[in-house]
Amino acid sequence: MSQEPDLLTRRHFLRTSILGAALSWTVPIFVERTFSLLNAEAAETTTQIATGKDNPILVVLQLAGGNDGLNALVPFADDLYYRARPTINIPRDNVLSLDGYVGFNPRMAPLKNLFDQGKLAVIQGVGYPNPNRSHFRSTEIWQTASDADKYLKTGWIGRYFDNCCNGEDPTVGVTIGSQLPQTFTAEKNTGIAMTPGGRLGFGKEADASEQQVFNELNGITQDHDLSSGASIGSLDGPSEPKLSAIEYLQRTALDAQVGTDKIGAILKRTKPEAVYPKTPLGNELSLIARLISGGLPTRVYYTSQGGYDTHNAQENSHNNLLGQLADALSAFSTDLTSKGIWDRVLVMTFSEFGRRVSENASKGTDHGTAAPMFICGGNVKPGLYGNHPSLSTLDQGDLIHTVDFRDVYSTVLSRWMKAPAAKILGRDFSALSFV
Amino acid sequence: MLSQLPKEKWTYDTAAHLAARAGFGESPSRLEQWTEQGMEATIQQLLHPDNDTTPPPNSMVPDQFAEFREQVRDATSPDQKKEARRALRQATNQQLYHLINWWTRRMLTTPAPLVEKMTLFWHGHFATSALKVRSPYKLWQQNETFRHDALGNFGTLTKAISRDPAMMVYLDLQTSRSEHPNENFARELMELFTLGEGNYSEHDIKESARAFTGYRIDRFEDFRFVSNQFDGGAKTFLQQTGNWNGDQIIDIILKQPAAAKFISNKLWKFFAYEDPDSQLIDKLAELFRQNYEIRPLLETIFSSEEFYSQRARDAIVKSPVQYVVESGRTLGVNLPDGRTLFAVYQRLGQVPFYPPNVKGWEGGKSWINTATLTFRYQLARQLVLGIRLVNEEPAKAPLPSPTTQSSPLAQASPAAQTTPMTQTASLTTQNAVRLPALQVDQLVTAEDRKDPEATVRKIYARAFQTTLDPQLFDRILDVAKLKPLPLADDAIRDLVALMMMTPKYQVC
Repeated sequence: MSQEPDLLTRRHFLRTSILGAALSWTVPIFVERTFSLLNAEAAETTTQIATGKDNPILVVLQLAGGNDGLNALVPFADDLYYRARPTINIPRDNVLSLDGYVGFNPRMAPLKNLFDQGKLAVIQGVGYPNPNRSHFRSTEIWQTASDADKYLKTGWIGRYFDNCCNGEDPTVGVTIGSQLPQTFTAEKNTGIAMTPGGRLGFGKEADASEQQVFNELNGITQDHDLSSGASIGSLDGPSEPKLSAIEYLQRTALDAQVGTDKIGAILKRTKPEAVYPKTPLGNELSLIARLISGGLPTRVYYTSQGGYDTHNAQENSHNNLLGQLADALSAFSTDLTSKGIWDRVLVMTFSEFGRRVSENASKGTDHGTAAPMFICGGNVKPGLYGNHPSLSTLDQGDLIHTVDFRDVYSTVLSRWMKAPAAKILGRDFSALSFV
Repeated sequence: MLSQLPKEKWTYDTAAHLAARAGFGESPSRLEQWTEQGMEATIQQLLHPDNDTTPPPNSMVPDQFAEFREQVRDATSPDQKKEARRALRQATNQQLYHLINWWTRRMLTTPAPLVEKMTLFWHGHFATSALKVRSPYKLWQQNETFRHDALGNFGTLTKAISRDPAMMVYLDLQTSRSEHPNENFARELMELFTLGEGNYSEHDIKESARAFTGYRIDRFEDFRFVSNQFDGGAKTFLQQTGNWNGDQIIDIILKQPAAAKFISNKLWKFFAYEDPDSQLIDKLAELFRQNYEIRPLLETIFSSEEFYSQRARDAIVKSPVQYVVESGRTLGVNLPDGRTLFAVYQRLGQVPFYPPNVKGWEGGKSWINTATLTFRYQLARQLVLGIRLVNEEPAKAPLPSPTTQSSPLAQASPAAQTTPMTQTASLTTQNAVRLPALQVDQLVTAEDRKDPEATVRKIYARAFQTTLDPQLFDRILDVAKLKPLPLADDAIRDLVALMMMTPKYQVC
């Protein structure tokens, strides 16, 4: 398809937004309400924007707080597990065995189904050398894909954008939340954050002239974006000194408006085709499914599920989190399967660290090291990857990782995103075969 | 290159530029006064300001949460422990919100804006986060140290920070002893605080870490030196051998030309523009290295023609703190407090006392992304119209729990703490506040309201500080002219919000 319909559509969005109203509510609601105010004509033309139809899509799902891997993927055949966790273990009979040694927490039954259907891979014992046990620092290490003693300015997905997505739409990366994760930090294109705060505009009470002046003052004009035919992302990024502060602000304002308008338009004509759990993660994955099926040219989505910092009385809270995760992912899989696009999507979970092998005195677990990662998608090569870390040979009471997390990133980048992994990660890492 | 701005080039416009950069903006009448008194007198006034008589924050005493910690310690059941931890966390957070609010109000009303601006600079430079430190008292004490030496001597300040309890907790100095020197502080001291990467070796880090052993914090949250934990042996640091202690290490560092360059460059970037020519920095560094006095360095910067050049104009993206404080100081919008102020700062991307990591805030264009810019614009309307701040966002990440600090794993804590901010305060309907709308009478007279041009001119002078950009002025005037006369309060508020929702308002 030529560029023409895309440009027309974008112009149309801009016009609609100039005349239209601005709204702001929580994520799923705001987008729907925003859209209900767009006119029907715009809705019709938007059906043509489906760019990037065949591109693989990655969904990065952060399990924030440090997921207790040993109670998610349980080494139920090992007595050492039960000895280390006398009160918070998952009883052997309840574990959903995967290979006779490890198995899922029973609340992850929906993921066991995905595993059995051949849509889920589990990477065991993922971590990195000289593990750091601070949430903040370890999250930064995972997000920038650095060595434990190095500080990188950009995120690993940000470097993917810089290397592979120049000149693309700002919505090439979409994060659900108000802060861009460090994963997305890039020299040029950092993607957009979809905030509960809604869209950029002068305000819902604004009359047309105010809205128009607002747009002009922010450089949001049809000329700016459209007459050149250039896509927004091709403008220079923040690292380019020749883009002045004001120009950079104008570009960001335009990105924000075009991005949120596009998203609003897509949500008007898409709907979930599965029943999602009524949880924040369920809502967010449902939203992502609609954006994918609506043809947003996004390569990487990012969202997170919090609450994994289970120092105290963790049994119920941790099981619930795993249940919410499994239910949401299962619905996501069903939804994308009915939409016929599950084959194009890969979901990858990560957590800044696992937890210590032994439970603590508060029936919880403290910050540890290695933990499993879950990878699911229509095209995943299912199974267990990597070796489960030994429960007898520990490093100061912590698991010793068997797979470097950058091996996983490298696999995702090279085999799934078809990107130059070594360039993005700074050196060669060995690839696994889960895709 | 650093030639003085000629007297005849000192205008209202240059005064306004100085006011925004060396402080948080000023009222038009103050700027007129500055214009009249001349550059030299104005800079002297900034460097030697009247005393700020702001009282200290309420109920800020050492070890104030001891009772809460005892309750955690003495809890007999997991539930009790959980509840006690929650109470401790809540009390600590309340006091931290109070501290953030206290500093914000101080910046808002201070007669010593450059002192506060430099306090903010040093806070970003010697970054220390409440996420790890968790002691409002220590953080306040550190803030006072920054303020006390804000315009003084860099060597004095660096030494004070090396024995600052908040910093000592943040970079694990208080557990460093002769048998096991902790290298966190020594590394950051050179990499981030004084020399910059590439100007020292790993060996220098190891040797200097030995000199910073025996630094402890007593139960009144004060510094204490424990000589039997100190490694008094010979150390070879930057090619010099001696039984160095921490202060001597800092003295050796400051003899390196790299140190003066590093700080001069960072100050120029903070006050003027990014990527200055290296000759310019060499000149500043030459001056600074004589004695590391901060006042003469700032005086040179603020009186240089380059500081007022086109390249420096509109070149700096206002930090969230600058955005919030300046809006209050120049336009008179009311600011929220408590948890709401915390949440506002968080969504803007900068919470005082919560830098993302030991590197501090990156600043510049990184303040702005689609989410933060959208929020700035929403906030502008909310502040001006006084509408409720209601934006719900589910908490995503865990609250940092006290065990993070006290667990046996504390030795593994890092040199840096980074994003994401795990302490998510959301602007929920429960904690939303209704701020009073902007008092329009502070900005315009009844006479002005009958004349759209006069009104826009008055607001423009406050919002943008500088002299008129005719194009911008005309577009805003177009909107004003469509409104019925005399201009009603809400019509004027609309104009203020419109000005705040422009790229130009985001820069200074």
